Amino acid sequence: MRNTLEDVDLLVTSLKDVVCVALGPEVTFRFEICVSEALTNIVKHAKPKVTEGRIDITVTEFDRTVMIEIFEPVGTDAFDPRDHAADLDTIDPLAEEGRGLGLIMQCADVVDYGLSGDRNRLALQFAMPIKCPDEMHSGEQK
Amino acid sequence: MIHTKTHDPNITVIRPGAERLTAVNAKAFKDEVTDLINGGATQLIVDFKDVSFLDSSGLGALVGVLKKIGHRGELSISGLSSDVQQMFRICRMDRVFTVYDDVNSAVQSMAESQ
Repeated sequence: MRNTLEDVDLLVTSLKDVVCVALGPEVTFRFEICVSEALTNIVKHAKPKVTEGRIDITVTEFDRTVMIEIFEPVGTDAFDPRDHAADLDTIDPLAEEGRGLGLIMQCADVVDYGLSGDRNRLALQFAMPIKCPDEMHSGEQK
Repeated sequence: MIHTKTHDPNITVIRPGAERLTAVNAKAFKDEVTDLINGGATQLIVDFKDVSFLDSSGLGALVGVLKKIGHRGELSISGLSSDVQQMFRICRMDRVFTVYDDVNSAVQSMAESQ
């Protein structure tokens, strides 16, 4: 995607459509929040030093988990959300900024961050909901 | 981007005019509502009936509007979808804003309190 806020909204809605069947409405909501906050944060704050900033994204499914990997533009400074996120309980209720990283930490099941090749990579994992027996059999035909 | 409708007595209902209130349009939303406040509007209801998604930038804009009104008036919220309501809850905004199920309840309550 291009490094613009307009592309963030377009991409988030597309990704949401891709994962919603696997994740169900509650987890899809958390996925949408996390991806929106993560991409917005990169576009607004991760200024590439070397090249035009292109952000690459992969979504994979394994072991009843959906993982999204977000690769920052080449040349951006590392910014690990795990080190900078504020607890949403401690943020001034009248603060106009500063909730994004806390939302990522609260809404993703697993947050990982580090170098992958020459790019910083944020990986967020979301566990698929456990279906009750009735739902598991609802699609079967007699 | 916003749509407004005035109810007696001097209550302004604002619809954000976008399905998603995010970093893309949060500043425009805040600026337009601030213009309304600067023009004398003090009893405001933001109706989220047509908003399906709100991020932290959208919430920040809403907090900015609340601070702009300050003690001069009142700001209430109505029509939250389940996802937007959940966002309010996660960010503890349900403790900051008065939220009504629908715009009619918000207008009635605000009119009675004047």
